[in-house]
Amino acid sequence: MNPVKRLFDSQRHRFAKGGRFEKYFFLFENIESVFFAPAAVTTASPHVRDSLDVKRFMFLVIVALLPHYAFGIFNVGYQSHRASGLPLDFWPMVWVGLKTVVPMVVVTYAVGYFWEALFATVRRHEISEGLFVTCALFPLTLPPTQPLWQVALGISFGIVIGKEIFGGTGRNFLNPALTGRAFLYFAYPAQTSGDAVWTVLAAGRTAPVDAFTGATPLAVAQAVESGSIVQVWSEAGYSLSTLFFGLYPDSIGASCTLLCILGALFLITVGVADYRIICGDILGFLAAGTLLNLVASPTTSPYLGLNPFYHLLVGGAAFGIAYMTTDPVSAPAMPGVRWVYGFMIGMLTVLIRAFNPAFPEGIGIVILFMNCFAPLLDEIQLKARLKKRIPNVQ
Amino acid sequence: MVSTLHHIKGYNLKLSGKPSAVLEDLPLPKQVAAVAGRLRFVKPRLAVKVGDRVKVGSLLFADKRRPEVQFRSPGGGTVSAVNFGPRRRLQEVVITVDLEEAFEEFPRISGAELDSIDRARLIELIVAGGLWPLIRELPFRDAARPENLPPAVFVYLDSLEPFHPLPQVYLQGREDLLQFGLRVLHVLAGAPALVTACRDNAQALNGLKEVIGRRLTGRYPAHDPGVVLYRTKTSADQNHAWYIEGQDLLLIAEFLQTGRFPTGRIVTLAGPAATRPGHFRTRIGVPLAALTDGRTAAGEVRLVAGGVLTGNPTPRDSYLGLFEKALVLLAEGNTSGDFLGWTLPGAQTPSYSRAFLSSFRRPREFPLDCNRHGGLRACIQCNFCTQVCPVDILPQLTYKAILAGEVEESLDHGLLDCVECGLCSLVCPSKIELLKILRQAREQFYEEMI
Repeated sequence: MNPVKRLFDSQRHRFAKGGRFEKYFFLFENIESVFFAPAAVTTASPHVRDSLDVKRFMFLVIVALLPHYAFGIFNVGYQSHRASGLPLDFWPMVWVGLKTVVPMVVVTYAVGYFWEALFATVRRHEISEGLFVTCALFPLTLPPTQPLWQVALGISFGIVIGKEIFGGTGRNFLNPALTGRAFLYFAYPAQTSGDAVWTVLAAGRTAPVDAFTGATPLAVAQAVESGSIVQVWSEAGYSLSTLFFGLYPDSIGASCTLLCILGALFLITVGVADYRIICGDILGFLAAGTLLNLVASPTTSPYLGLNPFYHLLVGGAAFGIAYMTTDPVSAPAMPGVRWVYGFMIGMLTVLIRAFNPAFPEGIGIVILFMNCFAPLLDEIQLKARLKKRIPNVQ
Repeated sequence: MVSTLHHIKGYNLKLSGKPSAVLEDLPLPKQVAAVAGRLRFVKPRLAVKVGDRVKVGSLLFADKRRPEVQFRSPGGGTVSAVNFGPRRRLQEVVITVDLEEAFEEFPRISGAELDSIDRARLIELIVAGGLWPLIRELPFRDAARPENLPPAVFVYLDSLEPFHPLPQVYLQGREDLLQFGLRVLHVLAGAPALVTACRDNAQALNGLKEVIGRRLTGRYPAHDPGVVLYRTKTSADQNHAWYIEGQDLLLIAEFLQTGRFPTGRIVTLAGPAATRPGHFRTRIGVPLAALTDGRTAAGEVRLVAGGVLTGNPTPRDSYLGLFEKALVLLAEGNTSGDFLGWTLPGAQTPSYSRAFLSSFRRPREFPLDCNRHGGLRACIQCNFCTQVCPVDILPQLTYKAILAGEVEESLDHGLLDCVECGLCSLVCPSKIELLKILRQAREQFYEEMI
């Protein structure tokens, strides 16, 4: 017999009715269900049920995110060594990345799990695995220099205000990871924006070496006053391939477009993400970019003349498209309006980038904004769909 | 004229334990029963008591609200038990069968008489024989209302739900009886009935090429008359169509031809926990033990009367009801899963979704059990229920409307179009009892309408 199984079996009586820790039965059950699928059987027809459960569904998202962590750990170390003028040796860089990323992940999961377990135990239901996805997404969107207490505060806000007060996973209308991220953005702008936050400097250094620019491509683009953004990017070291592979200072794991594409394809293949949202997103980005190209002239902001495809490469665009917009809970449920939802996200993100000087990147805010419209979009399609039905009402 | 209705939405459960097409005769059971406990929309009023002598075709109980819904004895002998369930609901009336059974005699109708018979007279005969409840009415699937002329009558010969008797087995040599039954329905409905069969079975039914009016392609529940109606109806007037299952129509035809209550039935015993799945010729109301003894796998086994998706769990000492033509045996499966099972690739894990490796391999059948495969969660809008629903309901929104008490809204969503196929519950990763919620809402609405 599996030793873990033996452990659970030997402790169960303490949590059962009449046991010393009866109050914590749900906590016990929650922990057990991580290791072993419950033995519960169906009580009503249909008597057989599909093998897929929410745990598996969410686990697949985490699988898709794991390469981002590997990339993030490397990139944090790589940028740190570049900025600090240290030799670019692989293992020391990975060590810096691990030192930075692992504590953030540990804090995120510990705090997130604490809140979820608290609400689950009080409400007497099982822990919903949406939590684990939220906690996997959240650190990837943060700058690597974020203080750990702010990480804890951010995930607390995301889990509690973004999700639990509405009843937990499935009942939230905002994406909890983004809610936490947006909270940090507005509450602690000094630690979440600017050029300095995206790079971890080696101990003892206060500023990067002269040749290193800590500004993200979006910050660079916003500072361009005339001429071609692509030109300025390549002068700053942001060539097309750098942007595609994501090896530049940015939030921990969101910059690699290649991994986002692979992750999105994986999620579509296993049936977790809806291709409609992703395609809608991309179309929205390209449409808005093209529209701006049409009105661009030498006197307007150079952003208007940027090739629309570059919008998909920089900032959090690819990461947001692959993992944030496809969250089925906060997106609309109806298939048709998922196109509209995605399209609007793409459009608005490009418009914010081009016209709003306050935000270099807008996709996080835009996704939260469109989350609020998801029920309305659903309602519109539902009304249209029900009108087509031949009534059957006695 | 055969027309084909294509691409009906749904899902075929990949369940092992398919019944063989060989028909085996079971010995005459010592006891038979009329089952009331699993009837829906019937409030039975008992007409006999323990110790009464009954003939085949004697009245056992009838619906308190609808006198035409009568249930008659499937055996001749002595009423040996009247079993009640919780809240004193009648479960079954058990008859110990005599060696020489006596029959109630009813008037016979010949083929020639059928041409000139009055509709009211025909209804009266079928009602008196206790076979009227076999004719069902959409959308609630209760007994048809004889006072109304239906907009259409469907006869469905087969069921894609695992595992119902195959028409090529139960119709063998009884094609004439089916023809007679169709003439009866013509009188009842004032128009010819539409016979439907799924494509594979329709091809096997060589002698009935002329009879089958519509061939169906698609996945379960493509066979269901509610689905066929939903796909073909053009106005709300057609919602109250009637339907009858092929084997039930044979009973009515046999009853009218012989003047005696028909007792024969061909049923299937199947499922992964059945050691010798097959077709069996036996009697209406046969004790389950007569079917399962010696044909059940070891271990804890659940007996499901009716199909695996819509049927009812039945205790071992129960009987097969009038409407139940299949007994599916499933392992209970009340054991916890593999260590960290959710992280495994799942090459051997069947699923509707594409979340396991099995979805990318050649389809095969699996010995599924009654395990729920997961904890209860809130709806995460995966939309799987919407994708499988054969009548385009949005179960994940409809069930929320029901739970919020929005009856009107749920009706707008098509609650009454629901064919109760159970696919939404089957595929739900949050393990929400969608079928149960939709069914209860329909029943509650029915009770308020009556």
